Amino acid sequence: MIEKWALSDPELPALIFAGEKITYSQLNREVNRVANGLTALGIKKGDRVAIMLPNIPEFVYSFFAILRIGAVAVPFNTLYKGGEILHILEDSGSKALISLTNFAPMINELIPELPELEHVILTGERNLIFAHPESTVFIQLILQKNQMEDLDHAYGRIGNLMLDIVRSLGVDDPWYKHRGSIRVRGDKIAAFVISEIEDMYLINVIVFLTPLDINDFLRVVWVPHEIRDKMLEPLTSVQEEAGERPSWDRIKECVTRRVEKEFGVEITDGNLVRDELFGYEKLRSLAYKDR
Amino acid sequence: MKWRIFSRKKGKKRWRLIFRPRGDVSDIMALPGAVVEGRVAGRYLLSSTGFQSTLIIQGVAKKGVLAGVDVSVDREAVEKYQIDIAYQPRSGRAGLRPAGTISFEDMVLDASDRFEPPTNDPEDLACIIYTSGTTGPPKGVMLSRKNFLKVQEFTQKVIKLGKGDQIVGVLPFFHVFGLSNVLIGGLVHGATILLVPQYNPTTLLKTITENNTSFLMAIPTMFLHLLRLLRRRGSRLPHTMRLCVSGGAPLPQEIIEQFKEKSGIRLIEGYGLTETTSSCCLNPPEGISKPGSIGLPLPGIEMKVCDEEGNELPPGKVGEIAVKGESVMMGYYNLPQETKESIKDGWLFTGDLGYCDDEGYFFLTDRKKEIIIKGGFNISPREVEEVLLSYPPIKEAAVLARKRGEREEIVAFVVAEKGTEEKEIINHCQRYLASFKVPDAIQFRDVLPKTITGKVMKTQLKDGYKDRRKIERGGSDWKD
Repeated sequence: MIEKWALSDPELPALIFAGEKITYSQLNREVNRVANGLTALGIKKGDRVAIMLPNIPEFVYSFFAILRIGAVAVPFNTLYKGGEILHILEDSGSKALISLTNFAPMINELIPELPELEHVILTGERNLIFAHPESTVFIQLILQKNQMEDLDHAYGRIGNLMLDIVRSLGVDDPWYKHRGSIRVRGDKIAAFVISEIEDMYLINVIVFLTPLDINDFLRVVWVPHEIRDKMLEPLTSVQEEAGERPSWDRIKECVTRRVEKEFGVEITDGNLVRDELFGYEKLRSLAYKDR
Repeated sequence: MKWRIFSRKKGKKRWRLIFRPRGDVSDIMALPGAVVEGRVAGRYLLSSTGFQSTLIIQGVAKKGVLAGVDVSVDREAVEKYQIDIAYQPRSGRAGLRPAGTISFEDMVLDASDRFEPPTNDPEDLACIIYTSGTTGPPKGVMLSRKNFLKVQEFTQKVIKLGKGDQIVGVLPFFHVFGLSNVLIGGLVHGATILLVPQYNPTTLLKTITENNTSFLMAIPTMFLHLLRLLRRRGSRLPHTMRLCVSGGAPLPQEIIEQFKEKSGIRLIEGYGLTETTSSCCLNPPEGISKPGSIGLPLPGIEMKVCDEEGNELPPGKVGEIAVKGESVMMGYYNLPQETKESIKDGWLFTGDLGYCDDEGYFFLTDRKKEIIIKGGFNISPREVEEVLLSYPPIKEAAVLARKRGEREEIVAFVVAEKGTEEKEIINHCQRYLASFKVPDAIQFRDVLPKTITGKVMKTQLKDGYKDRRKIERGGSDWKD
């Protein structure tokens, strides 16, 4: 059907997204490109491909590309979390999932339980991180890849390290199974994602220190009232589990000691050096540029 | 000896700690980003200092949001509530990609824009859409290519879409309503779809007014929001608009009238299920729309009302609504038993209760599984909910049954104005309902759990409801 219009009215706009027109002819070509891309990954007739995307052009390209290959599209709600996603991917036996980059931490955690899922394809710049002076601490590690055997090893090692850190902050019974979430019961207390850039791993960790009140944030990024409770996964915090919020000094001490022990290194206070300051200023000015 | 001790100490690698408990929200991205960029650039430029592993521990001095560039943010609110807002630059060369994943952009980078599709049979499975049932895990509804094409053909006989039409794509495409009626419906007929990836009422209104929008399909909540916005601004919708269609959840009657009056555009209500590839019943855009009715079956669709044994009931009698036609699903994925129970002789039994009038218009009453049986009487939760909602302080209501020992109790979950008391609500109910229908208990909530289309999810209000979003230590399957 898209092909039909692409032939008869190539310049007819099919989609308008962020003020830009995408014609039927362009759409048809994009669908073909995605169909070829998926085929190159080994997706073939009858395979299930899940889509967890909002209404962005990539949804449209992916959906019709899947149909063009003769594969089966499994679109599902972008508000789904944990067990809900797991059920759909497991039940459908999806071979690939096309999703947003910001859902990666959530999906990562499920991968080891989904042997049929071969590819996770990510798009979009829709990250949303809430930072609260009391409630959140961000821990980041930048190290060379050769300090870890492979990605599974890295996830295992950092997971156990974080488990140890959370425990040392006074949390009684945290657990870690795989890929990215430290939980107490079914609730998340800390999460991390490992990214790779050239020969480095960048590990981003967030730990929840006190309950996170997201109401202020929702004034800035509007979310319909009805789905506000579905924005976040069920969370808990160090304060709720250990009875008190640890001081910054204690956090510094706990984290530093445990990283030192885990990697057998000595950690000393430092700061950015010259080459890095250029990058720092550039990134900050981009971050606060008027839009 | 001396030498060895010295060597061991020297041999211990030194890592650097950057500790900033009171930074800006942009630092969460800029600090590690700078280390990464410094490393990447440093190899070619400037200093030759070796790479040092870095540990960063940071917090923020004030509330902040770090947002991807595609997230839309209310600038006024940022000022007003003193939220520090920073954007993550688009990931470029040194872009951050979670390890072990593929970037969509990379996947298509070198892909050809020509593709020879294999021969695809219209009866082949094209799509599986999951719907949450009243009990158990969501079921996968299997839809074929033919299902999608037929529903377009049927709908086109009532709502004529074509080249030049601009349709708002605000309903999520992962839901059957948006997927079938908006995305596929629009593209089959050569219309243009205005993509709205992140719903908010202002964006929706802006999208409508800044384009030559002719058509809006949405859910009741969105029409309600639009109505409020138009009222506040004293404006109308542009004259290019031809029609609005509501579905996904029941549309309150007064909204239909007020919307027409305020916006100048006709709003009609339709009905459909994932199992019927979305729309199967619609009020005619021209001609008679009946208050509270979901309209007439689309041409190509048959509908009837049946009793418990599956016998067709005469007009006016309440029973289960059944649907037949080529847009009815292939079945539930991997669930032959459930498929057999819901499709009999080509008729899909919807689980929705309702009736049909003498002129063939259909009306919904309740979900079959939600009917409350108390002391041998059948009670319609919808009837009780309507009485509750007629009491002005109550904004939302959901009524369900709860076991209390041997007894069935009626519980009403309500969202009400502050200070509203249980007693006054019960008094109100007693005035309008037979005594056995009056709720035994009222529970106040800030918000009722809803589906993406705005239907209240009563299962989540039941005793013993398990939050499926959680991941439990022992695994997270649906078996209790």
